[in-house]
Amino acid sequence: MKLGRYQIKLEKKSGFTGWQAAVISIVAILFALFLVGFIFLQAGVDPALGYQEIFSYAFLNPFGLPLTLNRAVFLLFCSFAFIVPIRAGLWNIGMAGQAYAGALGAFAVALALGAKGSQTPSLPGGALVGLMILGAMLGGMAVGAIPGILKGKFNTNEIVTTMMINFIMFWLVAYMIKEGGPFMGSGGEGEGFKLTESVRPPLFKDTPFTLWVSLALAALLYILFARTKIGYQIRAFGSSPAAARYAGISPVKISLLVFVAGGLLAGLAGYHYFAAVPGLYKIPKNYGDFGDLAFYGIICGLISQGNPLASIPLALLFGGLTNGGRFVQGKLQLGFGIDYALLGVVMIILVAFQFFFRYRIILKKAEKEN
Amino acid sequence: MWEFYARSFNASTIFMVAALGELIGQRAGVMNVGVEGAMLFGATIGFIVAKTTGSYLLGFLAAIAVGAAIGALHGFFSITLGGDQVVNGMGIWILGFGLTAYIGYPYTGPLGLERIPSVAGISPFFFLGIVLIAVAWFVLFKTNVGLKLRSVGENPSVAEVSGVNVVRTRYLSVITSGMFMGLAGGIYALDYNPVWNYNFLMGWGFVALALVFFSMWNPFILLGGSVLFGALWQLSLNPELLFEDTVSRYIWRTVPFVVTIGALALMSTQWFSSRWGAAKPEALGMPYEKD
Repeated sequence: MKLGRYQIKLEKKSGFTGWQAAVISIVAILFALFLVGFIFLQAGVDPALGYQEIFSYAFLNPFGLPLTLNRAVFLLFCSFAFIVPIRAGLWNIGMAGQAYAGALGAFAVALALGAKGSQTPSLPGGALVGLMILGAMLGGMAVGAIPGILKGKFNTNEIVTTMMINFIMFWLVAYMIKEGGPFMGSGGEGEGFKLTESVRPPLFKDTPFTLWVSLALAALLYILFARTKIGYQIRAFGSSPAAARYAGISPVKISLLVFVAGGLLAGLAGYHYFAAVPGLYKIPKNYGDFGDLAFYGIICGLISQGNPLASIPLALLFGGLTNGGRFVQGKLQLGFGIDYALLGVVMIILVAFQFFFRYRIILKKAEKEN
Repeated sequence: MWEFYARSFNASTIFMVAALGELIGQRAGVMNVGVEGAMLFGATIGFIVAKTTGSYLLGFLAAIAVGAAIGALHGFFSITLGGDQVVNGMGIWILGFGLTAYIGYPYTGPLGLERIPSVAGISPFFFLGIVLIAVAWFVLFKTNVGLKLRSVGENPSVAEVSGVNVVRTRYLSVITSGMFMGLAGGIYALDYNPVWNYNFLMGWGFVALALVFFSMWNPFILLGGSVLFGALWQLSLNPELLFEDTVSRYIWRTVPFVVTIGALALMSTQWFSSRWGAAKPEALGMPYEKD
C-alpha cells in the first residue's frame, strides 16, 4: 500500500516481548476510552469531565474506592477462571454461571448449618465461613466439570456449552431465590436470604479478606504456569493439542483439569461478591448484573495474554471504570449502561488490535517507479 | 393447543433465519460465534427505527443493514486481518451485548405499532423462513455461486488456483450471513416479541449457533432442528399451554439449554460421527492467506 511518498509494508512478527504486548494493550485501552468519549459527547457531557469524574470517584473517593476494590476482586477471580483454560487453548466464557454456582454452593452450606437471617448457627463463625468457601469452590467445580468432560471426551464446543450453563445457572438462581424458592429471603421481595452476623467475614481496612486471597492466587497461578510440570503440560496442550497428545499428555485430563480449576476460581468470585462484600451478604435481586460484569474477565484475560499478574492492574482499571461509570450515569445524567457500552467498545478494539500482535508495520520511502 | 403450535412456529422462525445465516458463513469457512451479538444489533436498531419512523419496512431494512455491517466487520477481522475467528466472534458478541444495552435503553418498552397480521396465529415470517431455507439450499448445492462458496470453505488454496476469488467469496458470504442474523433480530423485536428490554435475547443466538452444528451444515436438517427447538423454547416460556400445575417456570427456562448441551454432546461423539459422517467444512475457522 502506498501513502504519499511512503510505502507501507506489513511484516509478520514471529513473536513479541512482554513490553511490546503491554504497550499495544495500553494503546488499545486508551483508544477504546477515546471512542467511548464520543458517547459522552453525544450525551452532551465533556469527555474530559466525564473521565475525571469516573476516575476520581473510582480511585480517590472514600466511598467509591472500596466499591472499586470489591469489583476488582470479583473481576480478578473471573479473569483467572478465563485464563487457566485459555492457556490450554480452551474458551471458558462460563464465568457467570460458575460464579452463580459458587454463590449457590456457599448459601446452601449457610442454609444447611443454620446461618440464615437471625438464626444462631451451631458452629462457630470461622468454621462456617470455611465451609461456605468450600461449598462455593465445589459448586463452581461441579459446573466447570461439565464442559471439561465434554470437551475432553467428545471435543464438544466449549463456547456453546459454557454459555448454555450460564443461562441454566441464571434461571436456577432465579428459582432458588424467587417465588418461594428454598433460598428466598424473609422479605419476600424476590431476593435471597441474608447471612447471619457470625458468618460475615471480618474486614481489613474496609476490604474483604478475599482481596488478599485473589492476590495470593495471582502469584500462585503465575508460578503454576512458569515453574510446574502441570503448568507446562497445560501450555503445551494450548500451543498444540496434537503434539501434546503425542507427548503423552491426556486431552481428557487437561480439559477437565482446566475447566474444574476455572469453575473453582469463578466460584470464589461468587462467594466474594455475595457472601464477603460488606452490605450485601445475600444473593440480590439484580444478581444478573454481576454475571454481566463477569464478562470483563474475558477482556482482562485476553489483554493480559493469560498472565495472572498482569490481570491485577487490569481488573483494578475495569473495576474502577465500571464502578465510576455507574456513578457518573447518575451524577451527569447519562443514559443507563455506559459501563456496558465500554465493555463492548473495549472488546472490539481489543479484537482489532490483535492485528498488531501478529504484524509489524514498516514505513519506508517509496522507491522511484520505473 | 393450537396457540402453542403457532407460537412455536413463530419462535422457530428466529432460530431458522439466524442459524441459516451462520450456516452460510460457515460453509464459506468463516465461523461467527457472535450470532447473538449480530442479532442484538439487528433487533435493537430495527426496533428504534421502526419506533421512531412508525414504519415496519424501514425497521426491517435497518435490521438487515446493520446485520450486513456487523457481518462485514467480522469479515474484516477474520478475512482481511486474518485473526482468530473465535476471538473475533466473541468481540462481535460482547460489542453487541454492551453497545445495544446502552443504545436501546432510552427505548425500553413496547413498540407501540399495530401488530403484523398473522395467519391463524402463525407469523408470515415463518413462511418466509421456509422459503429462505429452500432458496439457500438451492443456491448452495445447485448453482455455480454455491459451489464457489462451498469450495472456499473446504479448501481455499485449491479454490483460488481454480479461479475463485477466495477473499471476495468469503466477504460476500459473511455479509449475507450477517444480513440473516440482523433480520432474525428484527423478526424477534418487531414481530415475535415487540418490547425492548436490555439483553432480551438471553441465549437465542447461542442456541442458533448450536443448531448449525446439529444441522450438519444442511439447510433442511436445520429447518427441522429449528422447528424442534422453537417448540422446546416456547414450551419453556409457556409450559402452562401444555401442562397444568407444573414445576417452577424458572426450571422450565433451563430446559432448552440442557437439551442443547445434551444434543451437542451426542453429536460430537465418535459413535455419531462415524455413523452420519462429519459434513463440517474442512477449512472452517482457518484464516486464508495467499502465498
